[in-house]
Amino acid sequence: MHISEGILSGPVLVSGIALAAAGTAIGLRKLDVDRIPRAAILSAAFFAASLVHVPIGASSVHLILNGIVGLILGWGAFPVILVALALQAVLFQFGGITTLGVNTVIMAFPAVLSYYVFGPLVRRRPEIALPAAFACGAASVFLGAILVGLALTLTEKNFLKVSAIVAAAHIPVMIIEGIITAFCVAFLKKVQPEILPGNEIDRA
Amino acid sequence: MDGLNPVIELEHIHFGYEAGARVLDDLTFSLHEGEKAGLIGYNGSGKTTLLHVIMGLLSPSKGTIRVLGRRIETRKDFREVRRTIGLVFQHADDQLFSPTVLEDVAFGPLNLGKTPKEARRVAMETLERLHLRGFENRITHKLSGGEKKLVSLATVLVMQPKALLLDEPTTGLDEEARVRIASLLAHLDISSIIVSHEYDFLAETAQKIYSIKGGRIEFDGDAGALHAHLHRHPAESHPHRYI
Amino acid sequence: MIQEPFVCGDSQIHRLDPRFRIVVVAAYAFVVALSDRFSVLFLGLAFSFVLIGISRLPLFEVAKRVLLVNGFVLFLWFVVPVTFPGTPLFHLGPLTATGEGLLVSARITIKSNAILLTFIAMIATSRVATLGAALSRMRVPEKIVLLLLMSYRYIFVMETEYHRLARSATVRGFRPSTSIHTYRTYAYLIGMLFVRAQARAERVYMAMLCRGFSGKFHSLQEFSFSRKDGFWAGCTTIALLGLGVLEWMD
Repeated sequence: MHISEGILSGPVLVSGIALAAAGTAIGLRKLDVDRIPRAAILSAAFFAASLVHVPIGASSVHLILNGIVGLILGWGAFPVILVALALQAVLFQFGGITTLGVNTVIMAFPAVLSYYVFGPLVRRRPEIALPAAFACGAASVFLGAILVGLALTLTEKNFLKVSAIVAAAHIPVMIIEGIITAFCVAFLKKVQPEILPGNEIDRA
Repeated sequence: MDGLNPVIELEHIHFGYEAGARVLDDLTFSLHEGEKAGLIGYNGSGKTTLLHVIMGLLSPSKGTIRVLGRRIETRKDFREVRRTIGLVFQHADDQLFSPTVLEDVAFGPLNLGKTPKEARRVAMETLERLHLRGFENRITHKLSGGEKKLVSLATVLVMQPKALLLDEPTTGLDEEARVRIASLLAHLDISSIIVSHEYDFLAETAQKIYSIKGGRIEFDGDAGALHAHLHRHPAESHPHRYI
Repeated sequence: MIQEPFVCGDSQIHRLDPRFRIVVVAAYAFVVALSDRFSVLFLGLAFSFVLIGISRLPLFEVAKRVLLVNGFVLFLWFVVPVTFPGTPLFHLGPLTATGEGLLVSARITIKSNAILLTFIAMIATSRVATLGAALSRMRVPEKIVLLLLMSYRYIFVMETEYHRLARSATVRGFRPSTSIHTYRTYAYLIGMLFVRAQARAERVYMAMLCRGFSGKFHSLQEFSFSRKDGFWAGCTTIALLGLGVLEWMD
């Protein structure tokens, strides 16, 4: 869900930077210095996980996983995703500099939302937690696709149809991410439930 | 041993990682039916590389691999190999990734085409055979070192392989777990290659001992005879318990 | 395996102050991204070619990256001209391509490639550790720099760990396909990766504490802005101002 260079207008780029900076500031404030090694290694894990490609029909897709990033990190998703995207740019020269802000918001905003909306549900019993996890994975991708469309259309009204196509193209990915997020949450609930949000939400 | 069918045959295998020297240099070796071969070598001698080459995780630059008499060359061939030969990794943590023991053991059968119900059944049977009844719903990540090793063995045995490759099976195990694994392997009736640097362990679990040096395999002798000559063996000089 | 093919080189660019390079690339990216006149865009592209030339980077690796980015741009070429309203140019079955649409696609293509090449020449030629230290000297908040450097440090470790786990699946006959079994397997592999990451993070943090870590980032690197950097700064400033003038003055 990256928007590459040269497509978006100035105001959209600048808004992206402002929003990403704000989100990152909040995320950093909630991230104690002693929690940074954990955030960094999780960021590396997400980076590695996003390289995995999963078959879908005749081709394959890379996983986005912003839903589960959100569940595990909350507002910390902003700095972690920003850093992961920056590293992606430097190491793969994929993704942009001017678009770093916008791309961060596209992935991190749904992540944080997932934390608040699905976080409380994910700690409950499996009958509630797993459908919630599916919804989390699917909705995060969906919201990201909507934001991509929004950025494109705000740049240029005539990009509306392109936006629609991009959003539609993400529907299969949504389903797969939903499934994978559900199984992943099931795994974490059994193996290390503390990694998932629980009571911290009240403290936040 | 002679006259028995070969299970794994390696002929003139060459393998080197990109930057360095050749790790496997014109290596020739056969494992016959019913044979349990111990393989000794220093760190970096190519023991793990050899096992990975047999499983098709690494491709040799030269040489022939045969399993059950059939030549193994293409990716499709290696997929068949994985149904026939089981590899137990050195670190059980690298082998176990499902939340519960039962799911991890059932993973292999599911890949082999069994239905979930059949997979569960054979998984439970295998756990029973390894005296792991009651472990089905335990979290693999939280098991002790010895328990993880047994479960990782189960995940491979459940696929009923014709041959077993074990990479340093005693790694990370305490005395009690070592004894348990040694006894288990000694009683298992599957052709095996057991890589280990522990002579005592191989004396209990293998019949013939080979060593890997300079990228090649040499026959050292029968396990029983060699045990007595422990101190004079060129490949191994670690202190050992006096039984 | 993640590789960094552009870092070891010894061109003029490799020897420039990394702080300067970051600033120039950012400025260049914005100027080009926000320009519309083809004269400006082509000049910008030429500028990026010059930089790639000076950097003496392996062209094969550069070409690989270019191809990757243009994959997405190609997708835009199929979609934008037929959805963008304007004067129809030609028909492809039920679809009509417009001149405006083609121009938009052309602009995007030039911009993407120009910025990509400049980025490769100026930023990808620097180690992440160096870039991190540079950012820290540029007053970027310490926490983010620390996050960046530590993430980088562990990317390769995590990648290897994932591959080891994935190997365990392969060795037991796993063949990815469009099935629930496949998605569940990937979910477990990824979940296990997170769990291991968490455990490793705890150990790393304890090790850092034991060696006096208190949250401050210290770097061994030193930066000095030399005369050559000044010369480059002058030239690039003039070039960028020139592009700006061409674009925004009538």
